[in-house]
Amino acid sequence: MTALLALVRKELLSLFALPTAYLTLTMVALVTALIFFDHLRIYNQTLFLYATTTMGGFSTDEIPDYINLWDAVFFPVMETLGLTLIGAVPLVTMRVFAEERSRGTDELLVTTGLTPTTIVVGKFAVTFLFVTLMMGVSFVYPATAIARGGLGIEHLAAVFVGLTLYSIALASIGLVCSAFASSQLVAAVSAWAVAFVFWDFAWVYPFVSEGVAGFLDAISLHLRYGSFAEGIVSLSNIVYFGGVVLVAVAAARFSFDLRRVGA
Amino acid sequence: MRGLALTGVIALSFGLGSFYATGHFGVFSAVNLALGSLALLAATVAGVRRIRRIGGPHSRPVILRGALLIVAAFALALVLEQSATRSRIQFDWTGEGRFELSPATLKACGEFDGELTAALYRSEGDPRTRRTRLLLQRLAQFCPLVVRELLLDESPEDEDRYAIGSSNSVVFAIGDRFETVERPTEGAIYEALYRLRSVSNGVVTVLRGEGQGDPERQDDLGYSGLAVALGTEGYRLQVAVSAAITEIPDDSDAVLLISPRRRMRDSTIDALRRYLAKGGRLVALLEPGVESGVESLLAEYGLEALPSVLVDPASGAVEDAAEGLNIVAYNYAEHPASAGLNQNRMTFFPGVRPIAARATRPGDRVMGVVWSSPHAWATDDLSVLEQRSGRVERRDEPQGYRYIMAAGRYPRDGVETRIVVFGDADFASNRYLRALYDLDILINSVHWVVQRESQITLRPKIRDTVQFPLPMQDTLRTLYGVGLLVPELLLIAGGVVWMRRRAA
Amino acid sequence: MSETRGHAANEPRPRGVRVEARDLTRRFGEHVALDGLSLAIEPGEAFGLLGANGAGKTTFIRMVTGCLLPSDGTVTVDGVSPSASPSAVQALLGFVMETCRLYPELRVRSFLRFIGGARGLAGARLATAVDRAIERFRLEGAATRPIGNLSKGFQQRVSLAQAFLHDPPLVIVDEPTGGLDPLQQTEVQEILRELRGRRTLILCTHDLHEAESLASRVAVLRQGRLVAVGNAKDVLSEGEALDLFRDSAEVGA
Repeated sequence: MTALLALVRKELLSLFALPTAYLTLTMVALVTALIFFDHLRIYNQTLFLYATTTMGGFSTDEIPDYINLWDAVFFPVMETLGLTLIGAVPLVTMRVFAEERSRGTDELLVTTGLTPTTIVVGKFAVTFLFVTLMMGVSFVYPATAIARGGLGIEHLAAVFVGLTLYSIALASIGLVCSAFASSQLVAAVSAWAVAFVFWDFAWVYPFVSEGVAGFLDAISLHLRYGSFAEGIVSLSNIVYFGGVVLVAVAAARFSFDLRRVGA
Repeated sequence: MRGLALTGVIALSFGLGSFYATGHFGVFSAVNLALGSLALLAATVAGVRRIRRIGGPHSRPVILRGALLIVAAFALALVLEQSATRSRIQFDWTGEGRFELSPATLKACGEFDGELTAALYRSEGDPRTRRTRLLLQRLAQFCPLVVRELLLDESPEDEDRYAIGSSNSVVFAIGDRFETVERPTEGAIYEALYRLRSVSNGVVTVLRGEGQGDPERQDDLGYSGLAVALGTEGYRLQVAVSAAITEIPDDSDAVLLISPRRRMRDSTIDALRRYLAKGGRLVALLEPGVESGVESLLAEYGLEALPSVLVDPASGAVEDAAEGLNIVAYNYAEHPASAGLNQNRMTFFPGVRPIAARATRPGDRVMGVVWSSPHAWATDDLSVLEQRSGRVERRDEPQGYRYIMAAGRYPRDGVETRIVVFGDADFASNRYLRALYDLDILINSVHWVVQRESQITLRPKIRDTVQFPLPMQDTLRTLYGVGLLVPELLLIAGGVVWMRRRAA
Repeated sequence: MSETRGHAANEPRPRGVRVEARDLTRRFGEHVALDGLSLAIEPGEAFGLLGANGAGKTTFIRMVTGCLLPSDGTVTVDGVSPSASPSAVQALLGFVMETCRLYPELRVRSFLRFIGGARGLAGARLATAVDRAIERFRLEGAATRPIGNLSKGFQQRVSLAQAFLHDPPLVIVDEPTGGLDPLQQTEVQEILRELRGRRTLILCTHDLHEAESLASRVAVLRQGRLVAVGNAKDVLSEGEALDLFRDSAEVGA
């Protein structure tokens, strides 16, 4: 445990000792702000348009039900955020293992007595912490929509849990790619591709049976992530994201075995 | 090998990107997806061969152990996920329990004989369908329901057949009967299921003509919502002009009297008296400040609608009225009509006249069912109803529990008369019927008077979507207050770290 | 110097461990990086491993540290195989990697605290070990500075400090003076000279003079094969030492 804590502390120090982490957070905050305010602007314009054309003010009888904070702002923002995170999270994870390898410190880590499992768990934990922070930063805007929509703190919590679990799953994918890649660029590109594939398997459905499609549905990120946004926190979805982390830890650990073998 | 893998990954992403952007397989996406998959497969094969070639006596167990660990992790994850799915454990954190199905819905869904299907018709990319899908999946977990999804564009004949107006519509069907739900909230689904069951609970006669509430009027002041809700619950409504009737029609299972505004004719009151005397059922919704004549008839049954206005300071100022005039009630007696209601399941009554309940004959059972708070008091000054703000001053009126709704059972010559009186009628108007549990207390009262207690339930709430705008000024304030402040602080922190590093 | 002072309160220190390789072979595809190396390094010995680039020195070291598995043969450290129990072996060794592979963004003290923590040290023991290392390797003025901002000589001192932090019985130093200017080279060699003798030291270098001045015994590798092993002065003073690096010279082990 001492070794793990030392590694976690070192990873945090490394992460926040460089301006890159702050720049990443700034970029994520700005991009999320842009996405959110753009949707909000369009929503407001639509509402005002209805208000003026119907001459009835904001009478709910006159405005189609699909023009509401949920469907016109919150969900599109969450959907776009989901795809944006596929782009952003690999930028965070690409350096975690690949950088150690490129500057040769991976063997320093191993020879200090840290086991591969400790290294993987420590690095995963710190990355998850950072990604959670990223979500905190980007969550300010959807939270504004929820708060103004009067949907309550519980719903807010569900969305945050979902968003964080989803990002953690993305980070896990990115970390595995970083663990196997020899350069940060390769790590990022492969993480984008893998996350993109796992986002939704709709493209495979024309070629597979209904059973296989059902299985692919069950492992796709998109469907799992969506129900949290609706305020549903199901054990099945939590376990799914936990499962992604578990498999990713085992795979990242395997990269150390391959390195010892010299593959 | 690595080159192949990278090529495969890039080709796959471009293929997918093209597929999602265009929504179909073009030559570009198909070729990329095929080549990408092939390249990845080849890279995997090459990787495995390379590992096999390198592997010495020390390497094999290490590789085998690592690979087994991945397989074990995957298997464990799969088993846990399947168990979690089977456990059906899920938490509805929507605050208002949007996906917690009410017993009424589950009951309505579970009472079908034969295969009930729910077809969700949607357009591509309609975000609302996700909510509907979750709701249907939840429903299917508890009752034998087959859920299907169809694209509207691919089902033009269904659009006409089921009168589907827009995406995110659900058609419930059993045999050749169907119900189309255009805004599939749980409430709407419940009502559709109830209609699909075609239950007949009887005939309700609505008296009209003396300024009573209009069950056909559809604005806020009308009672069309109540008429629809009664229809959903299996009641057929027949309207009788009160001035013209000499007898209540024989086929009436109950009479509904909604807020008469004028004095009713003696002949009408007599007809009601005769009807009640022979085991009739009456639900009367009475407004303060009106003497229609029915009050004296009700008093004969120990239900006295007092000529005053109830003020309940516990309710505060609600909905454009002086403090305590619009009453949020949360005290209920043990009675079938209020079954399931409690301090968290409140009812709302705007402008109430108190009801006194006292049995007048042995064997009669009369009781207050919905009570005010113990701080309530009644004033004879009816002008307070016009007061739109502030507080109604209490002089020396005593405070205590007052009845807002009362009910009585009266054995008469081998039959039983049942009467329910509400000291308010507005609560059943279109404006307030769906507020809190108003619909439930009223419909359950009707079920009770017609002695169909088995139908008594708490219905799912139909919730309006939030169309609250953030005014432009608010939007800008939020943008500058929160939207830019967070990135700014982060940038400052990054700058400070960079400067300190350089200086160290 | 401070080394003696630093250990005054400790238990009797280990005299080093034995490192032994038998028919050690490592192949990368068709390329044979190390070919049937058999070698024994005795406890407390300062052993120099010489060879041109690509001779197999680093491959041998990576197998001793457990970072790489042999294709054939065995290597043991104090009787323990790094292939089977890498953690047990890694607990016994300190490793100075070639070209100062450190974390440039970390400050010296934070880095040493991390290494100490990874080695299982905590609390007062960790603080003492870090302070002692900073003093021993003359890093007082650089302790709060980011490693990336230090000169190469100081970075190499940090690298040595981390390897000696937990006072291991085996220290492996790979090209300790590579890329340093003459003054820095002398400094590092002085430090190593002071620290050898009480533990097994494996010095990997292609600098003949460095090997001669620091090691008591040396082995010369060429194209993965052991071409000479023996007393440093004997092997390196024959005047033909440079031939050992040349492909044409064939000298039996």
